[in-house]
Amino acid sequence: MNEPIAIKVSNLSKRYTIGKQKDASLRSTLTSAFKSAATKGDDFWALKNINFEINSGDIVGIIGKNGAGKSTLLKVLSQITKPTTGRIEINGRVASLLEVGTGFHPELTGRENIYLNGTILGMTRKEVKEKFDDIVAFSGVEKFIDTPVKHYSSGMYVRLAFSVAAHLEPEILIIDEVLAVGDAEFQKKCIGKMSDVAAQGRTVLFVSHNIAAIKELCTKGIVLHHGEVQFSGNQTDAIDKYHEMNRGNVLSTQLKNEHVEILNFNIAPASGQFISISSGFIFSMDFMHQPSNGNLAVTFEVVNKDEIVVFHHGEWICSEKNSKQGRYSIQGTVPGNTLNAGNYFFNVIIATSLHHVLIQAENIAQFEVENETLAGNNSVLPGVLRPDIRYDFKFLDA
Amino acid sequence: MSKTTIIDAKSRQFFPNFKEIRKYKDLFLTLAWRDFRVRYAQTTIGFLWAFIQPVVTLIILTLVFGKIAKVDTGPIPHTVFTTCGLITWTYFAFVMTNSGKSIIESQNMIKKIYFPRLIIPLSKAVVGLIDLGVTVLMLIILMIWYGLAPAPTAWLAPVFLLIGMIAALGVGIWLSALTIRFRDFQHIIPFIVQLGMFITPVAYPAEQAARQMPDWMMSIYYLNPMAGVVQGFRWSLFGGDAPDNFMFISFGVIVILFVTSLMYFKRVEDEIADFV
Repeated sequence: MNEPIAIKVSNLSKRYTIGKQKDASLRSTLTSAFKSAATKGDDFWALKNINFEINSGDIVGIIGKNGAGKSTLLKVLSQITKPTTGRIEINGRVASLLEVGTGFHPELTGRENIYLNGTILGMTRKEVKEKFDDIVAFSGVEKFIDTPVKHYSSGMYVRLAFSVAAHLEPEILIIDEVLAVGDAEFQKKCIGKMSDVAAQGRTVLFVSHNIAAIKELCTKGIVLHHGEVQFSGNQTDAIDKYHEMNRGNVLSTQLKNEHVEILNFNIAPASGQFISISSGFIFSMDFMHQPSNGNLAVTFEVVNKDEIVVFHHGEWICSEKNSKQGRYSIQGTVPGNTLNAGNYFFNVIIATSLHHVLIQAENIAQFEVENETLAGNNSVLPGVLRPDIRYDFKFLDA
Repeated sequence: MSKTTIIDAKSRQFFPNFKEIRKYKDLFLTLAWRDFRVRYAQTTIGFLWAFIQPVVTLIILTLVFGKIAKVDTGPIPHTVFTTCGLITWTYFAFVMTNSGKSIIESQNMIKKIYFPRLIIPLSKAVVGLIDLGVTVLMLIILMIWYGLAPAPTAWLAPVFLLIGMIAALGVGIWLSALTIRFRDFQHIIPFIVQLGMFITPVAYPAEQAARQMPDWMMSIYYLNPMAGVVQGFRWSLFGGDAPDNFMFISFGVIVILFVTSLMYFKRVEDEIADFV
């Protein structure tokens, strides 16, 4: 335990004032100068009293759901924004990569952008010059190096941008999900490059939604939840903690009107500890039905992050004749190998007919389907579905 | 190569860290070079634009002030007189405009990576040197044409240019920092450029204004930082009466503007990424 400390964070907090951005006009500032501070916007603490230490040589994954404060933490660590309270001590040359290709200019050629991006990332022109050939070779866009990057395909653009970043030689590297770019082959190359960096004893801080990538790369994990550190320790324990927190995503606000009241909504893996591509999942809902007559139908929608409705599926609970007032419970099972990895949310519609909706609850619960490594590949495959398709093939003739 | 970075919420500095800015020298130059490279991208006549703008402005000013209003510029031909005024004024206008809007224009970069933010507005002073070179070239050609020799005080001309640069940066840094929170200031910039030319002795001598205005009004006139710079620059090249003491009002304003702009910029620097 006598490794030197690379990063020491103590009592770190970051406050944003909600609504401030909108009315930060000259007029409101002039008028608010005459009002008391109490009339200003609500405070929102994106980070609350964060403490942790990272030893030099550690590869740390920062895990958390959207809005947990991961990005804010990275921004504060990279000095992009100043913390509201607390102190950070960083020992060593830092490079932070919050996106690839920062400052890339479409009118400039690949060559010119390598110099531009390299100096923005903190290299001197001399350093860029020395590594120039390696950068170009790694990117694989030699043929187009003197073409303005606006004519590049998005894949070429990203490859060139990542290549510059990959040739930084910091002692501490802070990375935000930059691996979520490019095709699968290039991603593999990037992960390889990152493992090299790690093998050289450098410190890496890696933020990602991709638990599979964190599993493969990181030795330590920090779990963030609502701006607070929930866990800090070795990687496997951190991932377990993360799953434990996400299990049973209970409704935060009860939804009700004069007809219906949704009492609770739960999502759980059908097998195993957490929802993954093959685990399948069970969702269940309790609700109170007030009308004593009329049909009753419940429909569930699962929507992905691109707002695509993956399925819209429901069940008739009762018809007009045998309708009863009272509490109902409904449960559905989605088999494994249905959804691809990613974040999804549920919409619920309770209705008496196609034209008469009693309640429509949007975004009632969120859940994440975790990726599974497929033939050594960690990256999330494209597509909405991940069906388990059986193939029959045979050799016909030569 | 080991170094320690301390980020402390409590630390407060009044002035930008110039030692740190020096370390980012390469970035500073690269940003200036980028601006120059992309400025005339995809234009058919490219660099010619750098000549067309000052030449057309000069023609219009000569017509209006020289031929129509018949402004008396003493022994110096009106065209030369005005070109001389345009050198400092267009450089000021360019640097102020571009540094003023520079932070907003670079917001994507600012939100993704750290570097001393002051580099962005400062680098515009270098970009403007191109236009400065063009107007200086115009003046040299005209002086040869009219057979005018520079006065012995001409060695002071670069000093006045430097003062003009500081004035442009002072106003530009103020505007860039203010625009972060108050986009209102974006609309003020073209206003300053447009009206500023009339209250600055670009196409007429300040002495002419002095003859028609009482002293107290002249003091207000010289609150315009560029009034002193334009007069001083022209005096250094062509001599004549030594500039009056009103000039020092302008220089005082420039010092105050520049120092306060650095202080204000430092104050808002840490929260730029939260606002843009």
